[in-house]
Amino acid sequence: MSKSLSQLVSSKAVAEVELWISKYPAEQKQSAVMAALRIVQDENGGYLNRELMDGVAGFLDMPFIAVYEVASFYSMYEHNPVGKYKICVCNSISCMINGSEKIIDYLEKKFGIGVGEVTKDGRFSIKEVECLGACVGAPMMMIGKEYYEDLTPEKIDIIIDGLK
Amino acid sequence: MASIAHWIKSFTLWELLKGMRLTGRYLFSRKITVQYPEEKTPMSPRFRGLHALRRYKNGEERCIACKLCEAVCPALAITIDSEQREDGTRRTTRYDIDLFKCIFCGFCEEACPVDSIVETRHFEYHFENQGDQIMTKSDLLKIGDRFEDQIAADRKADAPYR
Amino acid sequence: MSDASTVTIEIDGKTLEVKAGVMLIDIADDANIDIPRFCYHRHLTIAANCRMCLVDVENAPKPLPACATPVMDGMKVHTKSARAIAAQKATMEFLLINHPLDCPICDQGGECELQDVAMAYGGDVSRYTEGKRVVKDKDIGPLISTDLTRCIHCTRCIRFGEEIAGLRELGATGRGENMQIGTYIEHAVSSELSGNVIDLCPVGALTAKPSRYSARAWELNQYPSIAAHDCIGSHLSVHTFRSDTNRIVPIENSEINECWLSDRDRFSYKGLTSRDRLLKPMIKMDGQWRETDWQTALEKTFAAMQDTIRNYGADQIGVLASPNSTLEELYLLKKLTSNIDCFNFDHRLRQLDFSHQDQAPMIPTLGSSITDLESLDSVLLIGSNISKEQPMLGIRLRKAQKKGAKICQINHRVYDLRMPCEVGIAAHYRNLVLELAAVAKALNIDSSLLPHAANTLFVQAQILEKHSQIAEILKNGEKSHVILGNQAISSPYYSLVEIFARAIATSCNCLFGYLTDGANATGAWLTGAIPHRDYNGASQKTAGLNAQSMLEQPRNLYLLHNIEIDYDCADPVTALSAVASSDFVVCMTPYVSSDMQNYADILLPISPYLETSGTFINIEGRVQTFAGASKLKNSEARPAWKIIRVLGNYFDIDGFEFNSSKEILEEIERTIGEFKGDNTATITEATALADKEDVIYRCSEVNMYHSDSIVRRSEPLQNTPEAKEDRIHINADLAKKLNLERATQVLVKHGNKTIAMHLAIDDTVANDCAWTSFATATSKKLGPMYGVIELEAD
Repeated sequence: MSKSLSQLVSSKAVAEVELWISKYPAEQKQSAVMAALRIVQDENGGYLNRELMDGVAGFLDMPFIAVYEVASFYSMYEHNPVGKYKICVCNSISCMINGSEKIIDYLEKKFGIGVGEVTKDGRFSIKEVECLGACVGAPMMMIGKEYYEDLTPEKIDIIIDGLK
Repeated sequence: MASIAHWIKSFTLWELLKGMRLTGRYLFSRKITVQYPEEKTPMSPRFRGLHALRRYKNGEERCIACKLCEAVCPALAITIDSEQREDGTRRTTRYDIDLFKCIFCGFCEEACPVDSIVETRHFEYHFENQGDQIMTKSDLLKIGDRFEDQIAADRKADAPYR
Repeated sequence: MSDASTVTIEIDGKTLEVKAGVMLIDIADDANIDIPRFCYHRHLTIAANCRMCLVDVENAPKPLPACATPVMDGMKVHTKSARAIAAQKATMEFLLINHPLDCPICDQGGECELQDVAMAYGGDVSRYTEGKRVVKDKDIGPLISTDLTRCIHCTRCIRFGEEIAGLRELGATGRGENMQIGTYIEHAVSSELSGNVIDLCPVGALTAKPSRYSARAWELNQYPSIAAHDCIGSHLSVHTFRSDTNRIVPIENSEINECWLSDRDRFSYKGLTSRDRLLKPMIKMDGQWRETDWQTALEKTFAAMQDTIRNYGADQIGVLASPNSTLEELYLLKKLTSNIDCFNFDHRLRQLDFSHQDQAPMIPTLGSSITDLESLDSVLLIGSNISKEQPMLGIRLRKAQKKGAKICQINHRVYDLRMPCEVGIAAHYRNLVLELAAVAKALNIDSSLLPHAANTLFVQAQILEKHSQIAEILKNGEKSHVILGNQAISSPYYSLVEIFARAIATSCNCLFGYLTDGANATGAWLTGAIPHRDYNGASQKTAGLNAQSMLEQPRNLYLLHNIEIDYDCADPVTALSAVASSDFVVCMTPYVSSDMQNYADILLPISPYLETSGTFINIEGRVQTFAGASKLKNSEARPAWKIIRVLGNYFDIDGFEFNSSKEILEEIERTIGEFKGDNTATITEATALADKEDVIYRCSEVNMYHSDSIVRRSEPLQNTPEAKEDRIHINADLAKKLNLERATQVLVKHGNKTIAMHLAIDDTVANDCAWTSFATATSKKLGPMYGVIELEAD
């Protein structure tokens, strides 16, 4: 038997999920699945595990596999531990033309980790993402919920220093 | 007129002379008779003789038990049983060719997707006992091992035309 | 001319008058116009994700998918125009980008939809030189093997799970190139219908594991047959490879199984080649088993029967037959036994309460047709785990539920019926009667019609909200059905259960029906395989002993037909001791077990299902005849009807000259003629309910994969998690009461037997109830299916 959601996350998170459920018709609880996954992911330090997904499934009366499908489809759900700051660098066409690969290389060298890895102190991880809709400021990256545009190595140093 | 010519020919043994001329011509011309088995005619790489099952260089049998040769065989000479081998691959447990049924059409060879069943250049064989004509999987693999160099060379020679 | 409901369209120049709103592909199929497809399936919802069925519709800017395009008036469709063909070819090329070229080793090769369509629409040479996608295969249990690299993402398997099986286990995780079909967390799929995804898969991604790599589609011979493991009688096709059954697939039959088949019916054939098969007649001489010839064996059997009749009377013979026996076998057995004045003949092996048997209807039936279940408004299932016991009916009820029907169940455990249940009441077998009485009371039935035993309960019954809810649901449904399942029939209070169930059905004007054990219980009632009635419900001069009494009062000689007494009887312990204490036991059996060798004196090998011909009558009363399909090598097994015929000849009974099972069937038709599948009956006799005590009641369900001797020997089925379920389930309250909350193993005491069993805490189980699965190796060591037990920590 899998644990219920209230055993896995704080009551605050459960209340938040419930708020999302209340936004949809009663018989369509599963509409809240994406919000619920986001909430439990944040609660768990930025990534999901099987227990949490099962908990969400139980809470929303969904088959487990349906939650796994959603969680594995969208790129914002993580299945492995990530850094405190998840650096999402856009590598779609506009950013790529404007040198996003160099930005990724620089980040990799700066932290001594590859894409998809976490620094030893657990502070940073790098992720390559698809277009975030900020082509006008290419190349760009997103840390947390902040966008940083027109990146250069120097600018990155300043941004990263600012995070400490 | 014709009857007169016929009358003269029959007296001069004209037909005989004509025959003798032919005999004489061949008596002195170059001989084409081959002294088999001391001598042998050249063979095409496409020659369809005794069957063989081939192996890959690492010793693994090629046959994957797809049964296409069995399906295509117009004489129903091939019988195959298959199963999943320990390692999960598809293999034959039995591969029999009845050489009395076989008409050496070469369809099996054509159908084989992995060049496993082939017809070799070997055609000089005989059976001494009832039942020997059934070539089993191990017989066929042995033939394949014996003639592998020749088989490989023949496939290579024919490859440009395929 | 077309009114609102019909429209006129044109496909490939053919003008068609069709119903509005129907999808183009259905119209084309009906008109025999071929449109290629992968994701579309008539019994599943539309996904339109494979794009193979693109057709050219005039005035549409792009080709449209025929499976998701409803017809509209004046539509002109071209399925073979240059634009349509170009679209289909492009789709095909796209699908083949990642599909491996491993057809020679693929089990689907030769019957593959992708292969067929590629022959028509595929290019000769691929333009792609890039590497192909590779997906790791997943282990999803002993029945289905996966080669997911071949998957074309049609999602038929996923939709099947959600819509038909009611259990979503397979899903598509990841996206784009990384999309994979699987369970995500690797586990064996548990659906009782999982095998159908093998048929559904248009490629070789999901294939049958038991027959993996053993034969090619084109080498197989097909024989139509009837499924023999539940009372539905699904139509199936037996595919044999050189006389061995290689696989079983469903035959489409919209009235019974549509195009589905349960895993039990699909994979039970593996039991036919079990090492337990009895190949030759065997005889026990001085405690040693010896092989013998048929003549000796039959003569010995006859001599033993005659000795018993002469020395002790025919009443000392007990004849038990499996409800899976064919109509012909049962008919001949009845003819044989009644001619030697032996009336101890029964097929109701898993029944404990026979008190109302004289009032039972002539034959038990479902009370409606299988297709009619789909149009029900409400259903009350009593003692039935319908999804597992009769998976085909589960599908129908699920359909009804989707259309809005309300499903209620009163069971020993609130079963997961793979569909939402409106009201589910869990009660052990004693309380189940009281729950029914409460529902009856909530319906305000006329209690004066109830017999005394029931009336007292009725008066005491307390109506709770759940009871009124069920009453409301049944009353409000325009078409409702009360169904007595296998577990209700096995209940020690079957008579009381039936009285209340009938009272409920009558007061709400519901249909009433039974779900019986085995494939041919209906046929057994009809042919008189019961001790108290003759053919067709006719009365007979005396009534013999029923199955349970025959074992409780051991007979001198037993003739056991197609049963393993320690698995197939409701009370295995009593059964075993009865046969052990008897003088002579004749087993007509396809299998031999070590227990059987202990108690039997003669073993006569009979041809099991698939190797013999015969007839089953399903729960609707549908008579279905089948022929034998396969044959076991080196086996001297004979069809059972031939053996009984010879015994009849030895006894010098007239009318035992049959040359084929068909001749027997003809005689049955002559003797029995028309029979009516009418469930109406007035039940007044009942077993009195025992006083309530503070005890634990054991309730059992026959394990789906242990239901008969063939299934029990099918290796793939035995390897499923379902077959291995052998724990004793109690709910958390009872565990707390007994201080067993942390225990994993308990000692179970039933009667004078004590065994250790694994414990499962399971809140679906009723209060004070211990639920076990029955007919397993563990359960045969314990007492009857139902009874009072004691539990303590091990």
